[in-house]
Amino acid sequence: MDMHFDQHISRQFNEDLESLKTEMLEMGGLVARQVADAVDALANADSELAEKVLQVEEEIDRCEMELDEHATLIIAKRQPAASDLRMVMSVIRIARDLERMGDEASKIAKMAIALTDEGTAPRGYTEIRHIANAVRKMMNDALDAYTRFDVESALKTLAEDEQVDMDYRSAIRELVTYMMEDPRSISRVMNVLWTLRSLERIGDHAKNICEQVVYLVKGADIRHGNKKNLR
Amino acid sequence: MTDLTQTNLTQKQVRERIAARLASRHRKEKIFRGFGIASIAFGVLAVLVLFTDIISKGSSAFVQSQIQLQVNYDPAELGIDKVDQESLAWANFDGVIRNALRERFPDVTGRSEKRELYSLVSSGAGFDLRERLQNNPELLGQSETVWVNADDDVDTYVKSLSKSKDGFLGRTSEQKAVWINALRDSGELKKRFNKTFFTNGDSREPEQAGIRAALVGSLFTLLVTLVLSFPIGVAAAIYLEEFAPKNRWTDLIEVNINNLAAVPSIVFGLLGLAIFINFFELPRSAPLVGGLVLTLMTLPTIIISSRASLKSVPPSIREAAMGMGASRMQVVLHHVLPLAMPGMLTGAIIGMAQALGETAPLLMIGMVAFIVDVPHGITDPSTVLPVQIFLWADSPERAFVERTSAAIMVLLAVLITMNTCAVWLRKKLERRW
Amino acid sequence: MSTMTLNAGPAAAVGDSTAEQNLVNTKADIKTVGSPFCDDAKLRMRNVNVFYGETQAIHDVSLDIGRNQVVAMIGPSGCGKSTFLRCLNRMNDTIEGCRVEGELSLDGDPIYGAKVDVVPLRARVGMVFQKPNPFPKSIYDNVAYGPKIHGIASRRAELDEIVENSLRRAGLWNEVKDRLDKPGTGLSGGQQQRLCIARAIAVSPEVILMDEPCSALDPIATARIEELIDELRENYTIAIVTHSMQQAARVSQRTAYFHLGKLVEVNDTETVFTNPEHELTEAYITGRFG
Repeated sequence: MDMHFDQHISRQFNEDLESLKTEMLEMGGLVARQVADAVDALANADSELAEKVLQVEEEIDRCEMELDEHATLIIAKRQPAASDLRMVMSVIRIARDLERMGDEASKIAKMAIALTDEGTAPRGYTEIRHIANAVRKMMNDALDAYTRFDVESALKTLAEDEQVDMDYRSAIRELVTYMMEDPRSISRVMNVLWTLRSLERIGDHAKNICEQVVYLVKGADIRHGNKKNLR
Repeated sequence: MTDLTQTNLTQKQVRERIAARLASRHRKEKIFRGFGIASIAFGVLAVLVLFTDIISKGSSAFVQSQIQLQVNYDPAELGIDKVDQESLAWANFDGVIRNALRERFPDVTGRSEKRELYSLVSSGAGFDLRERLQNNPELLGQSETVWVNADDDVDTYVKSLSKSKDGFLGRTSEQKAVWINALRDSGELKKRFNKTFFTNGDSREPEQAGIRAALVGSLFTLLVTLVLSFPIGVAAAIYLEEFAPKNRWTDLIEVNINNLAAVPSIVFGLLGLAIFINFFELPRSAPLVGGLVLTLMTLPTIIISSRASLKSVPPSIREAAMGMGASRMQVVLHHVLPLAMPGMLTGAIIGMAQALGETAPLLMIGMVAFIVDVPHGITDPSTVLPVQIFLWADSPERAFVERTSAAIMVLLAVLITMNTCAVWLRKKLERRW
Repeated sequence: MSTMTLNAGPAAAVGDSTAEQNLVNTKADIKTVGSPFCDDAKLRMRNVNVFYGETQAIHDVSLDIGRNQVVAMIGPSGCGKSTFLRCLNRMNDTIEGCRVEGELSLDGDPIYGAKVDVVPLRARVGMVFQKPNPFPKSIYDNVAYGPKIHGIASRRAELDEIVENSLRRAGLWNEVKDRLDKPGTGLSGGQQQRLCIARAIAVSPEVILMDEPCSALDPIATARIEELIDELRENYTIAIVTHSMQQAARVSQRTAYFHLGKLVEVNDTETVFTNPEHELTEAYITGRFG
C-alpha cells in the first residue's frame, strides 16, 4: 500500500505528521553521528571527540522528550487512525530506540576515554571496527527504509542483525580466549567487551527500527519473532 | 479562495470601499423601513375610517324613539268581548291607539290633521298591544300607560335633532314636528333601547325591522356548512396527504382543488341552483341549500389549510411512530392528527368566517327573498346576515341606513368572535415538539 | 473565511483536491474486502440493491450482522449507509419510488416479500433516529405507546412494569421516575434520545437500528448513549450508522465501510481502525477526503 501523509483534508495535520517524521529522522541522523564519533574516538584514541559525544548525548535525550510531546499532542488533537496512528506509534517507539542507541554511543565514548588513558592499542579493535561498520550500515539502512517506507529493504536490514550477532559471539569467544592466555589484560579487554556489547545492542535497536517500518507500512507487528503476522 | 488571493486589494482598501457604501446602505434600509411603517399606517387608518363610519352611522339604530300613550283596552272600541286567539286576530288595536292619541291632543279635529296625528305612531304598534293583551287578559276593559314605537320618520327626525338644532324633517310636516317637540318636552317621547332590532325579522317598516331572522338563518347555514365541510375537508386532506400515492391523478386533483379555491363564489351559487334546487328539488331559500352551496365553496379552503397543517407536522414524529410498528392509520390518528388539529381548526374557522360573509351564491338559491319569520329549522325559508345587509342597503327609507350599519356591526362582531375562537383554539390545542 | 482574508498566504487546498480525485477514480470496481459474513448471523443480507426511481443507491451489498453484536456502518455522506440501515426494518417503504432487491432475512425469516407484514417486523427490529423524536406526550405514554399498539400488556400493572424496565435499561429511570407524566419533549437532548431508546426496547425487539443516534448530542450525552449501547449488546443485536469514527471504534465489534453505495470493507473494528485492508477505508478513516 502506498503511504501518503500529505493528503489529509487538514493541512495542519499534514504538517504535524511531516514535522514529526522530520524531527525523528533528524534525531536519527544525530544518533548515527554519535555512534560514528564514539567508534572513531575509540579507534583513534581521541578522547576529545569522546568528550564531545558525551556532551551531545544530552541533546539526544531532549530530542526524545520533544518527539514524545509532539506525538502526544497529535494523538490528543487528531485522534489519528490506521496509517496515521501507526506513524505516530512508530515514531514514539523509534524515538525510544534511538535514545537507547545514544546511550550506548555514550557508553562507547566512556570506554574510549578509559582505553585512551591506558594507552597501547589492545586486542579486539579489528572486531570492533568490523562490527561497528556493520551496525552503522544497519542503522543507516533502517532509517533510510523508514524514510522511503521501504519494507523490502527493512526486512533485508533486519536479517543482517543475525550476522552481527554471530560476529559478536565469535569476537567474544576470541577475546575470552585471549583473556585466559593473558590475565593481565583482563581489565582492558573487558572494556573492549563492553564496547562490543554496546555495538551489538545498537544493532538490536536498528533491528527494532526495521520492525517499526514493517509495522508502519504493513500494519503487522513482527516484534519478538512474530513474522507470521506479516500478510 | 485562489481567486481572492490573486486580487491585490489591501485590507485598508477593502475597509475604505465598505465605508464608502455604508451611508447609502443605511439610508436604503431606513427608506425600506419607512415604507413598511407607512403601509401599516395606511391599513390601520383605513380600518379606523371604516369602523368610525359604520359605528357612527349604525350605533343610533340600537335606540328607538318611543311614545308614551295612555291606552284603554275598551272592549267596545276593540270590538271583542273576550280574550282568545280568534277574537284578538280581529280586534281593532289601531282604534285604541288612535283614541289614545286623540286624547293626548284633543284639539286636533280635521281629517287630514288626524291622519297626520295617527302616523306619529308606528303602524306595527297595534301588534305590540295585541301581544300585551294576549299575555295579560285581565287588562281587558282597563287602561294603562304603554310605550309604543314611533314611526320611522318621527324616529329619523328625533335622532337628527341631536345632530342639528332644527333637525331633519324630510317627510315629516311642520305640524307633526310641533307635536313631537311637545311630546319630547313632556317626556312622553324618548329614545329607548331598540329591542325590536334583535327580536324581529325583516319588515318593510324600518322601526319594526330586526336582524333576528337573518342571524338565525346565518347560524343554521353555517351549522350545515361546518357539519359537512369540516369532516369532508379533513378526510380529503388526510387521504391526499398521508395515503394517496403521488402520481398524475393526485397531482390533477391537487391542481383542481387549488383552482376551485379561486373560482368566483357566484359560480357555486349557479351550481347549487342547478343541482340542489332544480335536480334534487330541495326547498328554495333554505339554510340547507345555502349550507350545501357554502360547503362547496369552503371545501377547497379547508382542504388546502388542512393539508398545510398536516404537512407542518414534523416527519420525525411519523417516522418515530412508524418505527415502533404503528400502522399508517395509527400513525395518523395517534400522532399526526392531534398535532395538525389546531391548524385544521383555524383553517376551518377562517373558512366559516368566509362563508358567513358570503352573499353572491346565496342570491342564486333564493335566500334573497323577503322573509319576515324567524326560521325554525334548516329547511325553513330564511335569509342570512350579509344578504339582509344587502337588502336594507337597497331600501329607500332613511331609517334603514342606520340599520344597515348596525347589521354590519353585528356581522363584524360575529366574525371577530369567530376569529377570536380560532386564535384561542389554536393556543389551547397547540402542543410543542 | 476566504472572503475575509484577501491577503492570505499561498493557496492551500490545491494539492488536496487532486489527491481526492485520484482516490475517487480508483473506485471503478469495488469488491467488498474483509469478512462480511459470520457464522451466527441474526440479520443476513445478500446481494442487496436499492433504487430510488432510476438512481441506484445501494450496489450489491452482502453482509451479516451477528447475534448480540454491534455493527457500525461508516462512510461519507450519501454513501448509502442510512439507506441500507432503513432497509432492515423497511422504513424505506414510505419513500416514493424506492425499490429494494436482494435477499434480506431476520433469523431466517424474509424481511421483504408480499406476505411479510411490516407491523410485526418493526416490532422485532426497533429503530432510533438521528434527531431525538419523542412523541409530544408524557414520558410514560412515550414508552407505553409500543406495548399499547401491539397489545403486549394486558393489565395496567403489567404496562407499568414494562415502562419501568425499559426506562431502567435505558438508564433513564432514576432521572425521570418522579415525572413520568411530564412531556417527553421537556427532557434534555440526551435524555430524549435515551427515552427514544427506552421506547424502542419497550416492545422487546431483537434488533435495534440506530441512525446516527448521537449526532445531535453533546459529548457527555454521547458518552452515556455509547455506554448504553455497550450494555444493550447483551440482549440485542445492534446496527449503528455513525459519522463519528471514534464512536464506531468505541462501540462496535465489526465495522462496515460504505462508499458511493457500495460496501467496501467489513472487518473487526480493531482491524479497520489500525490497519484497514482497503485503501478507500484507510483514506476515509484517516481523514484524507470528505
